Amino acid sequence: MAVIAPNFTITQTHADVTRDVIATLERPNRGYYLALFGAVGLFLIGLVTFVVLLHDGLGHAGYTPPVMWAVYITTFVFWVGIGHAGTLISAILYLFRSPWRTAVYRATEAMTVFAVMTAGLFPIIHIGRQWVFYWLLPYPNQRYLWPNFKSPLMWDVFAISTYLTVSTTFLIFGLIPDVAAVRDKATGWRKFIYGQLSLGWQGTDTQWRHYSRAYLYLAALATPLVLSVHSVVSWDFASSIVPGWHGTIFAPYFVAGAIYSGIGMVLTLLIPLRKALRLEHMITEYHFDNLAKLTLLTGCILFYAYSMEYFVAWYSGNTFEQTTFYLRPFGPDWWAGWAMITCNAFVSQLLWFRKIRTNLTALFVISIFINIGMWFERYVIIASSLANDYMPWAWDHRLNPTWADWGILAGSFGWFGMYFLLFARTFPIVAIQEIKEMIPLPRRRAGGGHHS
Amino acid sequence: MSDDIQNPDRRKFLTVLGAAGGGALALSGCSSGRAEKLIPYLVQSEDQVPGVPTWYAGTCTECASACGVHVKTREGRAIKVEGNPEHPVNRGKLCARGQASLQALYNPDRVRGPMLRSGGALKPITWDDAIARLAAEVGKAGRRVAAISGAGRGTFSDLLAEWIGAAGGRVTRYEAFDHEPLRIANRQVFGTDELPAHDFGKAQYIVSFGADFLDTWLSPMANQRGFAESHGFADGRMSKHVYFGPRASLTGLNADEWHAITPGSEAALALAFANVVAGAAGGAGALGGSLAAYTPEMAAKETGLPAATIVRLAREFAAAKPSLAVAGGIASQHRNAAEVCAAVNVLNAVAGNVGQTVLFGADLPVADGYQAMAELMAAMDAGQVGVLLVHESNPVFTLPASAGFAARLRKVPFKVSTSLVHDETTELCDLLIPNLHAFERWDDARPLAGVYSLMQPVMEPVFPTMGTVPKATHTGMVGTWTDAPATVGVSTGDVLLQAGRKLGGAFARFTAPTFQDYLKTAWQGLAPEQGGGAFDDFWRAALARGGVFPERPATPAPGVAASLTSVTYTKPAFDGDGEWVFAPYPHSFLYDGRGANRPWLLENPDPVTKITWDSWIEVSPATAARLDVRRGEVIRLVSPHGSVTGPVWIHEGLHDGVVAMPIGFGHTAYGRYATGRGANALDLLGAPGNAPFVSYLSTRVRIEKLNTWKPVATTEGTPRQLGRGLAEAMPFAAAAKGLTVREAYLEAAGVHEGEEHTTTEVKAIRGWRQDQIEMRKLGDYAVAQPSWGMSIDLAKCTGCSACVTACYAENNIPTVGYDEVLRGREMSWMRIERYWEGGGDTGAPIQARFVPMLCQHCENAPCEPVCPVYAAYHTADGLNGQVYNRCVGTRYCGNNCPYKVRYFNWYKYNQTAFPEPLDLQLNPDVTVRARGVMEKCTMCVQRIRRAQHEARLEDRPIRDGEFMTACAQSCPSNAIVFGDARDPESRVARLRQDPRGYHILEETNTRPAITYLAEVLHGAEA
Repeated sequence: MAVIAPNFTITQTHADVTRDVIATLERPNRGYYLALFGAVGLFLIGLVTFVVLLHDGLGHAGYTPPVMWAVYITTFVFWVGIGHAGTLISAILYLFRSPWRTAVYRATEAMTVFAVMTAGLFPIIHIGRQWVFYWLLPYPNQRYLWPNFKSPLMWDVFAISTYLTVSTTFLIFGLIPDVAAVRDKATGWRKFIYGQLSLGWQGTDTQWRHYSRAYLYLAALATPLVLSVHSVVSWDFASSIVPGWHGTIFAPYFVAGAIYSGIGMVLTLLIPLRKALRLEHMITEYHFDNLAKLTLLTGCILFYAYSMEYFVAWYSGNTFEQTTFYLRPFGPDWWAGWAMITCNAFVSQLLWFRKIRTNLTALFVISIFINIGMWFERYVIIASSLANDYMPWAWDHRLNPTWADWGILAGSFGWFGMYFLLFARTFPIVAIQEIKEMIPLPRRRAGGGHHS
Repeated sequence: MSDDIQNPDRRKFLTVLGAAGGGALALSGCSSGRAEKLIPYLVQSEDQVPGVPTWYAGTCTECASACGVHVKTREGRAIKVEGNPEHPVNRGKLCARGQASLQALYNPDRVRGPMLRSGGALKPITWDDAIARLAAEVGKAGRRVAAISGAGRGTFSDLLAEWIGAAGGRVTRYEAFDHEPLRIANRQVFGTDELPAHDFGKAQYIVSFGADFLDTWLSPMANQRGFAESHGFADGRMSKHVYFGPRASLTGLNADEWHAITPGSEAALALAFANVVAGAAGGAGALGGSLAAYTPEMAAKETGLPAATIVRLAREFAAAKPSLAVAGGIASQHRNAAEVCAAVNVLNAVAGNVGQTVLFGADLPVADGYQAMAELMAAMDAGQVGVLLVHESNPVFTLPASAGFAARLRKVPFKVSTSLVHDETTELCDLLIPNLHAFERWDDARPLAGVYSLMQPVMEPVFPTMGTVPKATHTGMVGTWTDAPATVGVSTGDVLLQAGRKLGGAFARFTAPTFQDYLKTAWQGLAPEQGGGAFDDFWRAALARGGVFPERPATPAPGVAASLTSVTYTKPAFDGDGEWVFAPYPHSFLYDGRGANRPWLLENPDPVTKITWDSWIEVSPATAARLDVRRGEVIRLVSPHGSVTGPVWIHEGLHDGVVAMPIGFGHTAYGRYATGRGANALDLLGAPGNAPFVSYLSTRVRIEKLNTWKPVATTEGTPRQLGRGLAEAMPFAAAAKGLTVREAYLEAAGVHEGEEHTTTEVKAIRGWRQDQIEMRKLGDYAVAQPSWGMSIDLAKCTGCSACVTACYAENNIPTVGYDEVLRGREMSWMRIERYWEGGGDTGAPIQARFVPMLCQHCENAPCEPVCPVYAAYHTADGLNGQVYNRCVGTRYCGNNCPYKVRYFNWYKYNQTAFPEPLDLQLNPDVTVRARGVMEKCTMCVQRIRRAQHEARLEDRPIRDGEFMTACAQSCPSNAIVFGDARDPESRVARLRQDPRGYHILEETNTRPAITYLAEVLHGAEA
């Protein structure tokens, strides 16, 4: 089975796998600490920025009405999108029996959870009165006030919280056998903690049967979220009447974009990580080739979606739509428009070449382009559409992001990176038990076993 | 109440609320007249019910036209100023400047008390010391006493003249924009010294030779009301308005035809008009000979207009009866401005307008002219002035620096100012005895012949002006007043009377203990004229009404003076050899600079350029292209007399040989808002010398590029409609036929109704419409409720922006300042969008379309469904509500609003916009919004609810027009009408049926509650 690479036979024993993976949890090197301090530093920048915003009001950010949503919502959508690749890889590819996911799914799943955790902060950061964000939740209260379920922002609240719950459960659940394996090797207080986290896992047949069944159901539960969450996020825009937002194409367009950007982020994280954690023999070119193909597919869908947006704008005969789409590549924000088209529609086309797909340096560079491009995609959709809608009189206040915008953006990367790095040091970043399942012998039960 | 007035002890307290009991009597019942401090109701006066406003009649003192106002007070504070509907000058309307007088009252930079210069700086002293010092200095100066006052005419100015006269000096009535050329021309042509009134409402054809009558010329409110009457489209008729001048000002932009003419050539044009008109009428009498020289061809050469255009317009003018020609605007006040006015007088006379639309006998207040100032300055130079009293005037700023007033002022040994704030003149004075604001004191004004407009204290002075506040022992019922100091709450009138008592001698005749007594004594003489009766009754009625407003006496129209045998036109001289003629013009809101310390006026965008908070330099597109300068590039204008710098603004409505700049910026004192803001255009002007008036259009300048930038805080985005049909207009012919906007468009395009759609399309559209109607019925759960709506007639709207300031005042809208406006964060719920038509490469003349844009209160509002917390919701009576307390600030509503009329509190504007005591102006009926919430026009829901409550208390339905939104109330041209659209008899319901009616962005199916009536173009083609 093509778990590590095509025609690759695992020569390691179970013990080797356990050893190699658990080695990633040992005392890390200086580079790790530097990265961690960097991440924490960025997070602190974001935290300070947020405190200032909380104290003074959102005015420090570069909002220039009518652009009432700008960098924060852009970054929100960016992070929600990132998450989707993780769920796609861990859940959908699981259901589709695509075993190449095995080596990378843990990392991507962790990325999903942390990306959604990051995204979840933004609706709070960006609202005017952050301290009453809970009014968006349908909680029982004395005033009998209920949120407006017609509002896409309400749908968003549910989509994001559901996504966070399910993906967290999925991640924690999948970790149980691995944590148990770590527990078995750990000593002292670590052993106690891993012991608690492994929920009494003994690796009995009954436990395995329950575990694999439950994992399957959770994967099935997570799968629709890949499509639904970003569809709902896209309806934040599509159900408005803003030209450039109001498109029926938005849901599939956003989902494809989310997966595209998510895989971009997976590449950005995994390429250095596998080296740092010395996992080259488990996460191989083969994985990256497959990831790159997925990127190419979603990139092509995006290309199509972009073209279709322009076509529909032209074909609709709607002057508002036409103006908006004319101004994207030729208006004052042309650079953002072209950044989006170039990084997403054009750069992804390089992946038609196998040489590029298997060249990790090239892939890493491309993945950075994807991250940038997808951030700009949301920036263009959100900020530049708002800047030129119905009333020309209100136009021409160009969005001018400030330190407060960049501070929160940096903070979000710090927040995400901090969790990811801590996770990589604390939990097996490669799924021990799933790798072990790939090892042909000894079978647990003659002629039986699942998906091996 | 009359007991209180008889009681001299109590009189001291009459400047507090109870004093104005007469005003309160008629407007809200009788007053006990007893109040100590205003805020805590330890002893509640009968006319003060918490939560219920009390209205007092008064007079606006922002300019000499003296509009009548009603001041709304709540809990003892003035919170809103509105026009007095009975007042003959303004008939209930009030301009932005008048509205903003509240920010003079509550200005945070108001002087707290008298100050004396010692050791170079003004230091606070007591009132008694200040008055004693004034008396001593006047006594010492002997006959060498002089005073400068504004043009305001009333009992105080009588007292001042008499008082200064008693000291042996005289008062120079100085006003920067004094319309002296008009008076000179009136003396010359009609042999009368007065300024006439102009009946724009009656005129069928209005030609302005550079007179900006909508904002700064004579009596803008009266002018604008009349202009809307005749020029607003009604019953298939409207007048035509043509404006000649080098710059398309607000008045120029409201013209059906604006023609850029060579600066200074107005007289040739007016005389050519007169020539054509006289020709049409068969001769012009004695003047015929001299007029014959002014052929259209000659005028064409002078003005740069085609002769054919001149002939066409002059013939149109001749054909319209009556017509009206006006001249003498400040912006066109060049050295021969008197000639222009004389020529226009002749034109009016020849066209038979005198007595029809030019009404002598109105006797508008006038200043003494620059000549008197020059004489005073000579006297100051010669050491003949020992004490100078400067009252309601800031000549150091409003005269060009080259006139040398400041240097002469320094030579005067003792200078006294009565300014409310530290202005440039006060900075040079030795003694500052601040006057009370017009809403804190007694006085009157005589804006028109026979009209006596009263001022009364509507509240206790914002700052305790004098001595201690009377002590009171509170017994829980009625205060027992102990001996109060003799000097409480005094205006300059009281100061003069008290100083007079100290001086004795010639001043012994000032026996009135207070200025209020002086005023009443003066009014005693008026009572018999008004039909006799008890004076108290007369007085009380006058206070309630706001004054005495007799019908305007008909005076015989003066003929052209027999001495006038010839009229002349000479090219005015311009100083310097620069390439451009420099055209400073009065800022619509800052006027001569007096508005520069009021944030409402600084943030209200200039009606033409839409620039806020700073000065700018206007150049024409051709000039900009030639110099390669763009908007915001800082340039320096250099004249032989000085230089100014400022950012470029490209104005298409500008003659290529002219650069223009607003007057009113560049203060070096005058409080935190004014000081150091922008540049003073007057710095480029030369000394007027012996001229009878200051010539503003008198220098040539050259332009230097500085290669620096200063962003221009304009609220203008893209000033073109891009074919979106936002500000619709239709030709006069189509409107007169009663066509709808759509029909007019189809007619112009040569398409017949029905042709532009296929049968299938028509079917689909009809089906969709029917669906919509059915769905509306489903959603209409409040059939018994009113449905508030508004109509805005673009044919009447002049873009004057009075509504904007009215909205700020009524709805506690914060001003955000230069930096925030640059980021598009102004909070103005009501904005006047000004779109350009024509100009550019179109070859068509540049035209402006003004569209007041406010929340449309859509029936199908895009903002409502997207709010996750129901902060945006629809009320049963058709309003688009906004619950500030519920808003969490997602701003989705703002994104989804196609009209972009939702405003977000990015910072704590509520804390920064109202430094003490500006916060005292806040309307207690309206929430002051915290940071982080959305806000927008509520259609003055507080007024709606109040009217509903009152109607319910009286068990009656609400009457149409019983109350209005603040914008509709203030609109000088009555363009805005508000009411219940469900009531078929209401004015708004009828206006909504007008064929000119349309909704903005109708294609978004928002179903707005605001119907716009298309503008009607009465241009050359009509």
